[in-house]
Amino acid sequence: MKPELRRILFSLAVLGWSAVLLYFHASGRITKYLAPDFRPIAFAGGLGLAVLGLFNLLTAWQSVDCGHDHGNDGSSHDHETSDVHPLVALLLMILPIGLSVAWTRDEYSVQALSRKGLYDSPSNLSESINAAALPPLTREEIEKNRSRTDDGFYQFNLMELFYATGERELQSVIDGMKVETEGRWIEEKTRNPNGTRKRLYRLFITCCAADSRAIPIILEFGGIPPEFPENGWVKVSGVMRFPLEEGVLQPLLLVERVLAAEPPYEESFLRK
Amino acid sequence: MSPDSQQDFALAFLSILFEGAPFILLGTLISGFIDIYLPAGAMDRFLPRNRNLAVLAAGLLGTVLPVCECAVVPVIRRLVKKGLPVSCALTYMLAAPIVNPITALSTWQAFQGQNAAMMTSSRMGLGFLIAAAVGLIVSRLPLAAVIKAKLLDSLEEPEKPHAHADCGHEDHHHDDGNCCGHDHSQEPGDDGRLVAAFRSAMKDFIDVGVYFSIGVTITALFNTGIAPGATWLDGLAGNPAAAPAALMVLAFVLSLCSTSDAFIAATLDKFTWGAKLAFLTFGPMMDVKLIFLYQTVLRKRFIVLLALGLFLAIGGITVFWQHLLFAAQ
Repeated sequence: MKPELRRILFSLAVLGWSAVLLYFHASGRITKYLAPDFRPIAFAGGLGLAVLGLFNLLTAWQSVDCGHDHGNDGSSHDHETSDVHPLVALLLMILPIGLSVAWTRDEYSVQALSRKGLYDSPSNLSESINAAALPPLTREEIEKNRSRTDDGFYQFNLMELFYATGERELQSVIDGMKVETEGRWIEEKTRNPNGTRKRLYRLFITCCAADSRAIPIILEFGGIPPEFPENGWVKVSGVMRFPLEEGVLQPLLLVERVLAAEPPYEESFLRK
Repeated sequence: MSPDSQQDFALAFLSILFEGAPFILLGTLISGFIDIYLPAGAMDRFLPRNRNLAVLAAGLLGTVLPVCECAVVPVIRRLVKKGLPVSCALTYMLAAPIVNPITALSTWQAFQGQNAAMMTSSRMGLGFLIAAAVGLIVSRLPLAAVIKAKLLDSLEEPEKPHAHADCGHEDHHHDDGNCCGHDHSQEPGDDGRLVAAFRSAMKDFIDVGVYFSIGVTITALFNTGIAPGATWLDGLAGNPAAAPAALMVLAFVLSLCSTSDAFIAATLDKFTWGAKLAFLTFGPMMDVKLIFLYQTVLRKRFIVLLALGLFLAIGGITVFWQHLLFAAQ
């Protein structure tokens, strides 16, 4: 293959990656994929790839000398010949990313969420979640500092309620407390013989969506739960309990009220 | 693949790619500029005369001359021909992809929330120790047992300047006896070298990007449970001895770049910390693509022995290190 054509193909591959990175950043969809620390890095990467691709595309026909000798070692030390045929390289660079852009819905299916801990008990916490230990809370601090609804529900994030299951001290503070929290609404597939339960979850991201873990609690309605779209956002109020079920402590909210809610800007809990 | 599986694969694939691509770019830009602007003899000047100290110093050269494993093989091939001791060249070759600031930065970033500082320092420390150990062993072996006969022959040939009839010009000299088809009697302008550096960087980016793309595809399939064998692999994840072995095999197959492999390892959340360390240390030293690259410098028998030695040494040390760090927990 002519060097000029090879340079053009390589430039197009680089520009393809650049375009995807910059598009996801410009559209705001990057928030579903990366933790905040990584977003500016990804943006800079997209810009850098654009510069690299455009520079090489615009100079593809220029003949240059690298300024040093190339030995007789039989290797293709010409600074440009790739290990892979340029067309194969272009295909391998563009096809997976192109298909992914076409297929993505910016969220996981329930099947993948199950692998990411949606139905795990809090005792199966991964290292990354354990490492994100929350600051200690006392009842006095909650009563003094925590926001409270007009009808007396303290606002908690889901992580605190989930994490309290494995923290005896925090658990004793929250157990029996009227709380309000928000998350995504999904079917309860375990220990739900009467169909009176649902599950509420959010994702915990360390760096990117691939390393995310689902953080769930169980919602108990005592009767048939109301209808909400699967994976839709809801705000739930009720009394928090930590019953022992089949030998495992579970975070369970006895629901008094549930309302549809707007998705937050940051859907996931982040490490900071 | 079902629509749900497609959606899961796409989310995992894009998120890992978005995270790793900027670091690959940074690494290949630096590598491209080193390729063009750094004279081949520059590294010799860093090394002490004592053989053992030179090996140890070679293991640290990556901190000032950061190159990933794909770029390092052509570099050391060239340096060996220029007279760099083979033991130092091999130490640099094995250590530089790990003991370099870009790899350290990407490892630290990727492992936020997973003992990032410990993982980064353990990776760099273990990479250096293993590379130095290999270098010290190689320094006591006959060269014929290590490097290819053709390369050995070229080392034994005296270097002399000469003219070339087939170049079309007889008044310039190459230090290794071959004409490359262009005139070196005139230094190229800075513009030309800049273009060459960007071309070299793009070539490196494509080489690494292709393997990265394949690696991310496989990882995304395992990460979301789509790949056959994902459950089996999960079964090994908690086993302190089998997990490092499994991830070293995975690292060998995936052939990821050291500047971005941490982003893959960090997502393997079912695996032990030690297994991830084994993945991050073994992968940059030995993988499918490196086998092919190593064959341009090393004897096949030596490559096989090196692979086995690295597998056993890194596996053993990471199991021990994991036990030492986490036994109390």
